Amino acid sequence: MCRTGQAPEPGDEYGVDATDAVFTSLLEDSVEELYEQAPCGYLSTLMDGTIAKVNATLLEWLGLERSRVVGRMRFTDLLTVGGRLYHETHFAPLLQMKGEVSGIALDLKAAGKQRMPVLVTSKVKTSQDGEPLLIRTTVFDARDRRAYEQELLRGRQAAEEAARQARAAREQAEADRERLQEALAALQQSLLPSQLPVVPGLEAASYYHTASPDLLGGDFYDLFPLDADRWGFFLGDVCGKGPQAAAVTSLTRYTLRATALHDADPVTVLTTLNTVLHERYASGDPRYCTAIFGVLEPADGHISVHLASGGHPSALVQRADGSAHYLPTPGGLLIGVLPDAPFAAARTRLLPGDTLLLYTDGLTEARTGPGRELYGDDALRAFTIAQPPAGPQALITALTGLLASFGDGLDDDTALLALGVPAPTPTTVSDNLA
Amino acid sequence: MSTLTITTRDAVTGPVIEITGDLDYDTAPGLRKAVNGLTVAGGHLLLLDLAGLRFCDSSGISALLSARSLAIEQGGHIALAAVPANTARILRIVGLDQVFTIHADAATATASPRERR
Repeated sequence: MCRTGQAPEPGDEYGVDATDAVFTSLLEDSVEELYEQAPCGYLSTLMDGTIAKVNATLLEWLGLERSRVVGRMRFTDLLTVGGRLYHETHFAPLLQMKGEVSGIALDLKAAGKQRMPVLVTSKVKTSQDGEPLLIRTTVFDARDRRAYEQELLRGRQAAEEAARQARAAREQAEADRERLQEALAALQQSLLPSQLPVVPGLEAASYYHTASPDLLGGDFYDLFPLDADRWGFFLGDVCGKGPQAAAVTSLTRYTLRATALHDADPVTVLTTLNTVLHERYASGDPRYCTAIFGVLEPADGHISVHLASGGHPSALVQRADGSAHYLPTPGGLLIGVLPDAPFAAARTRLLPGDTLLLYTDGLTEARTGPGRELYGDDALRAFTIAQPPAGPQALITALTGLLASFGDGLDDDTALLALGVPAPTPTTVSDNLA
Repeated sequence: MSTLTITTRDAVTGPVIEITGDLDYDTAPGLRKAVNGLTVAGGHLLLLDLAGLRFCDSSGISALLSARSLAIEQGGHIALAAVPANTARILRIVGLDQVFTIHADAATATASPRERR
C-alpha cells in the first residue's frame, strides 16, 4: 500500500515529542554529576602526579575517601607495584614526550585488596603558551576484558597442549608401529631360509611376496641337505595369516626338516606332518597347510625328483625345449584335516636346462585385468612357455615381474621356489660368434 | 571391505546355514561363531548352503573345516550345497572334495533324509 499524500499519523508526532522529553530529562544532569557518576574513572593530577581532582566512580573502585586522596596521593600510589613500574618506565616518559598516552593496560589497587585491571588514557593540559599545567586521565574498567583475554589465553594454551599430546601420541604410535613391523619382519625371516644353500649341479632361486607388512604370511619354503647325496625341498602355505598362522608355519617347517632326516620318503614326511598338525590342532583352533615336499637326487647328467603333495597346487616343469607341463598330484589332501590323510606322489627328471617351479596359490589365485579375472593354471603355464628356458633365476625374475604387474590384484602372500639343472655353458656358441 | 551374512534355519534333516558374501580372514570368525552356537543332533545333517558365497580363501576353508569338526563331534554329518565354481575348484585342489559331501543345492540336500546314512 502506498501512503503517499496521507497526513502524518498522530502516533508519529507523539513519538518525536516523547523522544525529546527523554533527551531533556537526560540533559538535566548537571555537568558535575556527569563527571562524578560517569561510567569511567576521571582524575586530574599536577605535573608531579599529585592528585588534584578525582571522580566518585574511581573513588568507589579504589574504596577510598576523597579526603585521603586529593592532595595527598599521587596517581602512581593508586597502582599495584607492577603497574607503578610500568608507569615509570613507559607511561610517564611517553606522556612527557607526546603529551598524551592512550589505552595503556595497568592494574589498580582496588577496594578489598583486589587488583583491578584498567585501561588508562592520559592527556596533558597546557596553557595558551604551551606550558604543561596538569594531566587529565580517564580510567576504564578492564576486568571483563582481561578475564576474556585470559580465557582466550587459557583456551589457546589448552589447544596447544592438546595438540602437543596428540603429536606425542602419534609419534609414540608411529614408533610402536615401526617396532612391531621390525619384529614381524624378523619373525617372517625366521620362517624362510635367509639364503638358499649351494647344491652342486643345481641352480636354485626363490622369491617371497608379502601382501601386508602388518600380517605375517603363512607361506614357507626351504632347501636343505638330507645326506651326502640327496637334498630335501618343500614349499607350502598355512591357512590363515597373523601370529597364529606363523606359529604353525614354524612348527611345519621344523617338522618337515626333522622328519625328512629320519625318512625322506615324501609321502611318509607329509604323513608325519599330518599327524603332528592334526594332533596339535584337533581341539581348539584348527590350522591346516598345503605343501609339496620332495627329494632331489643328482645322478649322471640329471637330477631325479620325487615329490608328494598335500592339497597343494601342482608343480610346474619348464623343459629345456621350451615346453612346460604340470606334475599332477591328484588326491593329496590338505594337511592336518583328517587323521589318515591320503597324499599323492609324483616323479620326474630334471635334465640340463629344465626347471621345476613350486609356487603358492597367491600366484594362480591373483585377479587380473579390469574384470578381475582369476589368473589361473593355464595362464601360468602359457606364461612359462613364453619365457626362454634360461634356468631358475631367470624364471623367478620373470615371475617377480608378473606378480608386480598384478598390482592390487595380488592380495595374498606368494612364495616361489625354482630348482633346475643348469644348461651346459654355451662356450661353443661364443666360439662360433667369435 | 568384505561382508558376510549368515542365516540359520532348521530343516527336517538338521540345521541349514546360508552363507552369503565373502568368507575370508576378516569374516571367517563370524561363521565359526555361528557354528559354535549350533547343536547338531546325532545322525542329523549340518548343511552349509554356499549359493550366495562370493569368495572363499584359506581362512574360509578353515572355518568350513571347523564346522565339519563340530558336526562330527556331536555325532552328526556335514555337507555343502550349491558350491560356487571357484570354491569348488579350490576344494578340489586341496583335496577337500573327498572330505565334504557336496550337493547341487540346499533343496536336494534337505529333501530326503532317509536316503542318507
